[in-house]
Amino acid sequence: MSWLESLTLTSPSGFWNPLLWLAFLIIFAVIGYIIYSRGNRSYKPGTEQVKPFISGNAVDDVELIRVRASDIYWGLIEAMKGYYAVLMRMHTGDVRDYILWYLGVGAIILFILVGGV
Amino acid sequence: MGKLTNFKRSIWVFHASGGSCNACDIEIVAVLTPRYDVERFGIKLVGSPRHADVLLVTGAIPRDFADKLRRVYEQMPDPKAVVVVGNCGTSGGVFYDSYNIAGPIDEIIPVDVYVPGCPPRPEAIIDGVVKAWLKIEKLEKELEGKKE
Repeated sequence: MSWLESLTLTSPSGFWNPLLWLAFLIIFAVIGYIIYSRGNRSYKPGTEQVKPFISGNAVDDVELIRVRASDIYWGLIEAMKGYYAVLMRMHTGDVRDYILWYLGVGAIILFILVGGV
Repeated sequence: MGKLTNFKRSIWVFHASGGSCNACDIEIVAVLTPRYDVERFGIKLVGSPRHADVLLVTGAIPRDFADKLRRVYEQMPDPKAVVVVGNCGTSGGVFYDSYNIAGPIDEIIPVDVYVPGCPPRPEAIIDGVVKAWLKIEKLEKELEGKKE
């Protein structure tokens, strides 16, 4: 068995060779560099030319215009603000609070089931 | 008119309307409609100055818009050219010396081609863009010369 064959993993569905994989990566990197090198080199880094276009408005902080995952639910949260305001206050992130709630609600359920006896 | 010597790529145009009454803007739209159809020559209207070679500006430019116009101009890649369409952008037009006007446009950004008229005919706008095209070819050659 040659050293090349020893590096090749064969299976009934095909084979895998790290050197072949590396060769593909190099080819793709070269293609990528060719595309990159054909780009516009006259742009001026650090100027308005590299900033996003927002109808000519100044954008100081990208965080202010970024759409977050939570923004998708903005309408729902805004519509049910009264309900969520209470829930969000309860949602402290402290496990001790949750255990306290668990014990409290568990006690109430037990009280109902046992019938106050 | 000079001769176009370099058709390496089509020319992409960004239209910025600064307080225009819409008459010039309608004529710009007419340039794109089937009668003139400048897209067949490679003159294409784009949605961002980041993609544009030519900035087409209309209107007398209110004070609030001056900064935005400057920013739009600075966002364009080099080489670039500016075409002013209409009397208002060229000289201030009927708004000349008005207290709330920052224009004419050449007092805000450098202008390469003026297309006067109220509004100018579509043929005049096409002529203006072709003149800007010649200017860009010249600037491009200068840039290439600097690289070499």
